[in-house]
Amino acid sequence: MKKKLKFFGEHKQFTLFLILALAVVCVAIFAPWIAPKDPLEAVMLDSLKAPCAEYPCGTDKLGRDILSRVIFGTRTSMVMTLVLVAVIFVLGTTLGVLAGYFGGIVDEIIMRVADMMISFPGLVLAIAIAGMLGPNLTNAVIAISAVSWTKYARLSRSMVLKVKKSLYIEAAVVNGTKTGKILVRHVLPNMVTQMVVTAAADIGTMMLELASLSFLGFGATAPTPEWGLMLNEGRTYMAKAPWLMIYPGIAIVIVVIVFNMLGDSIRDVLDPRQE
Amino acid sequence: MKNRFLKKALGMVLAGAMTMALIPAMPAAAAGEITIGVTSFADTLEPTTQYFSWVVSRYAIGECLTKFDQNGEIVPCLAESWENSEDGLTWTFTIREGVKFSNGDDMTPELVMASIQRVCDKSDRVPEFFDLESMEIDGQKLIFHLNRANANMAGSLADPLFLIVDTNVDDSNWEMEGPICTGPYAVESFSPTDSCVVVKNEYYWDGEVPLDRVTLKCVDDQTTRSMALQTGEIDIAYNLKTENLIEFEGNPNYEIQELQSLRSTYAFMNQNGALGDLALRQALLRGLDKQTYCDVLLEGGATAGKAPVPPTLDFGFDELNDENAYDPEGAKAILAEAGYVDNDGDGFVETPDGDALTLNFVIYTSRAELGVYAQAAQSNLKDIGINVNLETVSYETLLDKRDSGQYDLLIWNVLVANTGDPENYLRENWYSTSANNTAGYNNPEVDALLDELAATFDEDARRDLIIQIQQHIMDDAATVFFGYETTYLFNNTRVTGVNMYPMDYYWLTKDIKLAE
Repeated sequence: MKKKLKFFGEHKQFTLFLILALAVVCVAIFAPWIAPKDPLEAVMLDSLKAPCAEYPCGTDKLGRDILSRVIFGTRTSMVMTLVLVAVIFVLGTTLGVLAGYFGGIVDEIIMRVADMMISFPGLVLAIAIAGMLGPNLTNAVIAISAVSWTKYARLSRSMVLKVKKSLYIEAAVVNGTKTGKILVRHVLPNMVTQMVVTAAADIGTMMLELASLSFLGFGATAPTPEWGLMLNEGRTYMAKAPWLMIYPGIAIVIVVIVFNMLGDSIRDVLDPRQE
Repeated sequence: MKNRFLKKALGMVLAGAMTMALIPAMPAAAAGEITIGVTSFADTLEPTTQYFSWVVSRYAIGECLTKFDQNGEIVPCLAESWENSEDGLTWTFTIREGVKFSNGDDMTPELVMASIQRVCDKSDRVPEFFDLESMEIDGQKLIFHLNRANANMAGSLADPLFLIVDTNVDDSNWEMEGPICTGPYAVESFSPTDSCVVVKNEYYWDGEVPLDRVTLKCVDDQTTRSMALQTGEIDIAYNLKTENLIEFEGNPNYEIQELQSLRSTYAFMNQNGALGDLALRQALLRGLDKQTYCDVLLEGGATAGKAPVPPTLDFGFDELNDENAYDPEGAKAILAEAGYVDNDGDGFVETPDGDALTLNFVIYTSRAELGVYAQAAQSNLKDIGINVNLETVSYETLLDKRDSGQYDLLIWNVLVANTGDPENYLRENWYSTSANNTAGYNNPEVDALLDELAATFDEDARRDLIIQIQQHIMDDAATVFFGYETTYLFNNTRVTGVNMYPMDYYWLTKDIKLAE
């Protein structure tokens, strides 16, 4: 216990942003209890109300409470971002490990596909894919996964290549250990730290990409409370009702900064090269 | 650690600086040139495809035999005068002499006839306007012989579909290079999503054209269009809305015009799908609080709808009885009675067969108010238990979806008196065999009344027929009539002569010039 406390004391930045990140996650989990109103309930007579006692952040065009929508938006954004990061982490790492460990034709196929994906600008390709699949959040996650897994594949492949040459792997092979076991027991543990660091640092970026797709109309669809979509809906009334854009914008900025800084701190804590 | 901070901060500053640098980089327009911010739905400039001829007319490239003035009255254009036989089956138009196409060719009655024939050959929309038996030429006169009597032939020919093109030239490149017409301007370059540049037509028949070059820039997004006008990137902005008034009102550098338009916003209900059930359609209509949409959400930017023809035209709007006015409790009762019940507790009703019911509502992006209507409708219908999924697409995709019938509800925004009165509009949308009627609406009585209307010349009798037709359409709960919008036109004071027309076929005109 004491040791743990000492760890947190030594890594003050990490502790701070971990607490903030947990707070964001709590907001997402407990959204129905925190939000003062139903985010979907439209009181049309209260259209575009400026922030006041009843609506602390104002209302949108249809008279929905912005504060509640921003709070519920945390849910949408967090869940989708975590799913997205998990998907690309698992998919990218698996493909990268397979490519790196087996080499030859497997390596060629996987890495050339990866090369193909990164030869397009990421978000543009994601827009194209989302456009083809049709706008909804699941498709947005699929689209961004399709362009983002390559980073993990390349990273894990290079690390596997490094690990593969070490003596203990050769020893395991000579001992007749099954390939699956080698991969899981000897290869993965040696690279998972680096991969986790990358994934943690990616949460903020991915959240922004999802919000961008929604903003452009390729992600969340009305009436889902989602920050990017709220920004887009507010754009028309920018001069008249700036609160439609300000609050979802602030929410995005805060959450993205928190997760970016958390990613940075995790890197500082885990990455031995920084020492 | 610090280093990374620095890099990030530097990156942000740089990105900011680049964005700022973009703003003052707008080129000052040269003398004799203006830029107009427009919304465009035209993939090509081929006038016989879909409604693309509207764009050709709006950009002052093409003209028709007749046109509408600012009061919506039919006045001569490429035809000097016209007369009709008593039975409405023969119409004689006297073609104006001395008109040249923009390539210098003379516009002869033969070329006019060939041009109309070209439309009949290439467009499937002609039968809703008139049923042509033959055309003949007598000196400077062009005579139309019709199979079906038409009381409004002169108005029909003012629709941009019938703009006069030079059929002597090769038309294979017209899609991208624009047709050869008689308007004050001719196409210099065209890019469907970006802009269309038009230049002065040296051969124009109706006086000197004031501007050398006009750029019609597609700015589909309303906010961007408004900002472009504020920065001076464009001089005239079409299709701005009540939300934009606040940005320009009281500023002496801008002129604002307002017109109770003849445009109606409505949604087709596809009767080939779940909405084939009258009870569901009635419930849906009763669930919509259109008065609030127009008065509160659009801030008076529209008049609430109930009938096909807006109250701006005197076709009995107030006499029409809307049995499906806003009544959420009544809507719920109808649903329950017809067997639409929520069995699985998700808050939305299932069909009487027990299947999940989700109505797909297709809307398009370039008119911001459509999204407001659709979202408000989605919210209202949720209250009575009908699940609506909004699908926002581009206008081109919307047309495809309409033609292939892939929708339950599909938004439509159209001019109701495109030929001077609502006959063509009613026939095009609600006649059972019309190409535009992909919603499957079929009422033999409406068809019969529309046929009778076509042959009726007496104004009072026509009004009476149109009222009857509207009442049928309303009683059949065929279509959701959301509202009739007020349109605005904003321009800076660098230009003068900008006018709004009730038939919005005319955007750029020969009257638009630079202020002294």
